[in-house]
Amino acid sequence: MLLTSLDPRINRLQVPADWPNSAVKKQLDQWATYEVFTQKRENTPYAYVGPVHAPDLEVAFVFAKEQYSRRAACFGLWVVKTQDIQHTPYVDDNESVFNLLNIPAPATASEQSEAFEIFMLKKRGKAHTHAGTVLASGYQNALAQAKQQFGEQIPCVNIWVAPAAKILKSSEEDKDWWLTLNEKKYREPVAYKVLDKINAFKNRTTNTP
Amino acid sequence: MYGGGSIFEPVKLDELAHEDPVKLAEFEARIQRGEKIEPDDWMPALYRKQVIRMIEQHAHSEIIGALPEGTWITRAPGFRRKMALLAKVQDEVGHAQLLYSAAETLGKTREQMTLDLISGKSKYSNVFNYPTFTWADSTVISWLIDAGAIVNQMANARGSYGPYCRALERICAEESFHLKYGHDAVVYLATGSSKQRQMIQEALNRWWPPIMTFFGPADKISAHTEILMRWKVKMATNDECRQQFLDMYVPKVWELTLTLPDPLLRKNEAGTWEYTEPDWEEFKQVINGKGTCNKERLAVRRMAEEKGAWVREALLKPEATYVKPLA
Repeated sequence: MLLTSLDPRINRLQVPADWPNSAVKKQLDQWATYEVFTQKRENTPYAYVGPVHAPDLEVAFVFAKEQYSRRAACFGLWVVKTQDIQHTPYVDDNESVFNLLNIPAPATASEQSEAFEIFMLKKRGKAHTHAGTVLASGYQNALAQAKQQFGEQIPCVNIWVAPAAKILKSSEEDKDWWLTLNEKKYREPVAYKVLDKINAFKNRTTNTP
Repeated sequence: MYGGGSIFEPVKLDELAHEDPVKLAEFEARIQRGEKIEPDDWMPALYRKQVIRMIEQHAHSEIIGALPEGTWITRAPGFRRKMALLAKVQDEVGHAQLLYSAAETLGKTREQMTLDLISGKSKYSNVFNYPTFTWADSTVISWLIDAGAIVNQMANARGSYGPYCRALERICAEESFHLKYGHDAVVYLATGSSKQRQMIQEALNRWWPPIMTFFGPADKISAHTEILMRWKVKMATNDECRQQFLDMYVPKVWELTLTLPDPLLRKNEAGTWEYTEPDWEEFKQVINGKGTCNKERLAVRRMAEEKGAWVREALLKPEATYVKPLA
């Protein structure tokens, strides 16, 4: 028996009214997670916006663009696999995680050095923002370099470290992806002049006996 | 955004007896100071369970709530309304993705949440088990259901769980358009021809009883409510939310010289809204599967899951293994 609905579109789908209880859902919904950062204004630091689930980094990038940059102004997008980020523990607000961590003094940059991006969280419940890039021989060393360069920034309750090479970044010429955002005025509250309509209605109804 | 009064599991206080008292005290002190809880922090099992439940229900409500509105996209009058409704529905589905991710940080997988929704185990906002007969019904959802959800969500945004707060911040930013869009669509009908006014009046009459149940039954003052409020999981009682909603939106309905189908509805001298007690027996029946649309909503969601499976199968050659998101 097919499901009958008020909605002609649902009827056309020919959905079975009763799903067999034995129907087993295929387990296809648990993809790896990727963390997404956007740049909301030009020349401002990238900030964390949230995760996406995807089969690989490039699909994650497409999902991230759709999920996190279709509504608000955006000038750049970074996506990185969750597993490629290492992070410190969280400390209390108003403390600095740098002070609590026993981080070995940074070795001088060696030939194996690569770039790491450092993201810092100022307050619990807020979003991590990009503090800068360090050259380091590994995650631990990157944290030590970060302490030297950004350790004065207090409070910092949590730090994320990711190798720059593992982050898929939009490039300068990709910025035109977001040029059409402003054209979609129907998504902005200011496009709806509700009060004008209400006032016109009130005038009309009070003026007619 | 559609999240209504969440249905919390009854709290068994003896569950807390097994928790480490020192860690529990630190946890409560952190919340007391106004600090947020982040995923890696120690937390009582009961907190974890209730927050997962709340965020998951909210996520399901976004997905299921998009169905009654989504079917009106092709029938929305005029291209501009089609574009706006399309954008709104896309927002709602995006909100569900944000919320599922936030719940995942507490350890319940997206796979399991999807399964619990389509198997009927998890709940979603009960109002979506009611049908949308006309275009006017869909405008009432866009305006008043979203308005109710905003009241609820503004309260929750002050809650204690960091990832949920981050998701809500994003959701709030997109919501302001929904509310204005919905209000505009209702005002357009209410200030139009007598036929249009009749349409919106009938839709309001149909939707008012479900809307009055949106925030859930009055909370009994219990250890249950007390502990969820102390932990800033629940930020306002169901009645507080309902009063705030009535105060903000009943005057906006009345100024259009429309009526609401409750002869007892009025604001008394003390500033409190009085109303006919909603039919909680019907509410119970509907939420347990006896509503007009329960079957249809889940069937459509299941069908989407099945018909879309091939896309996920084709894409599913993961280069990474699953770990929960960081925040």
